[in-house]
Amino acid sequence: MIVGEQKTLKEIKHMVAQYPKLLILGCGTCVKTCFAGGEDEVATLASALRLAFKKEGKQLEIQELTVERQCEDEFIQEAAEAVARNDAVLSLACGAGVQDIARRFDRVPVLPGVNTTFIGVLEKPGLFTEECSSCGDCVLATFGAVCPITRCAKKLLNGPCGGSREGKCEINPDIDCAWQLIIERLQKLGQLDNLRKYVSARSWRSGNAVGPRKLLREDLVV
Amino acid sequence: MRNDFKPIITMFHCANALKGDISPAFPENELEIRSVRLPCSSMVKDVYLLRAYEDGADAVVVLTCPEGECRYIDGNIRAGKRVKRLQALLDEIGLGGQRLSLFSISPNDDDAIGQIIRKTAADLVDLGPNPAMK
Repeated sequence: MIVGEQKTLKEIKHMVAQYPKLLILGCGTCVKTCFAGGEDEVATLASALRLAFKKEGKQLEIQELTVERQCEDEFIQEAAEAVARNDAVLSLACGAGVQDIARRFDRVPVLPGVNTTFIGVLEKPGLFTEECSSCGDCVLATFGAVCPITRCAKKLLNGPCGGSREGKCEINPDIDCAWQLIIERLQKLGQLDNLRKYVSARSWRSGNAVGPRKLLREDLVV
Repeated sequence: MRNDFKPIITMFHCANALKGDISPAFPENELEIRSVRLPCSSMVKDVYLLRAYEDGADAVVVLTCPEGECRYIDGNIRAGKRVKRLQALLDEIGLGGQRLSLFSISPNDDDAIGQIIRKTAADLVDLGPNPAMK
């Protein structure tokens, strides 16, 4: 999932202060799962903003709405009526959702309420971990489904750096050494020979080094 | 404190910590107690607590079962973490985190509830009315 974190109330308050009628628009997919922008977070933020403005003697009219996904026009359309009734939209989606809403409603300011952080997993309740850099050329088959590009601080592809201590990374002792995990996993799978193959220098063209990427599926285009 | 200030205290309580209503008697002209019964204290969502202030509460109290005695194992611990997070948010809002507190009580301990209400009311003498209700 795409993991994000809600911006501070102070920052959000500053962004929305000039708009008397505000739509807080949640997204019911990734940001809901990471507790940053689903129905509950929309309701909590709306309540917090109302209280904060009331304390200052100001009135802010807030409408709350959550659509299934803010990155698909089919779902975005459900917000059209609510968007039209308000002076601005505070989107609690990831950066893609914010931009898609802005593209669909080009005359209304669309503000980001969430900092999009990474593509990751829920490691345990309350802890999200980055596991994919969306590099566009997946090498997980070679490395026992442990990504050295994302999970090794040095992004090494041909073995460990030798600096880890007790399975922890020398750059950040809070994270596991990806290469320790790769070797342990390949041992379990009986595929340690995978590491005999030299992995040549990567072309990063599949990543976003050359600007935003597009993926075209001709069979789906009508 | 203003003479006409009649504090409103909203109490969210676990149904197992307090089976019935909040019974300690307080003169109605001194303070207003609103109680919200929940199946477990962990059911207090952030928004429920904030809406209590929007609805006029000057202070909010969450009553949980003692640690180790939650019927749902760790519901009271979850409630404690949520309250801590909300206290920080109340500071950021400008209402003050001191307006939200959490207490663990033995089942139906009226004396303890009475003390909690008196302490909360005494704290409100310093804190004053909910500043969002001006």
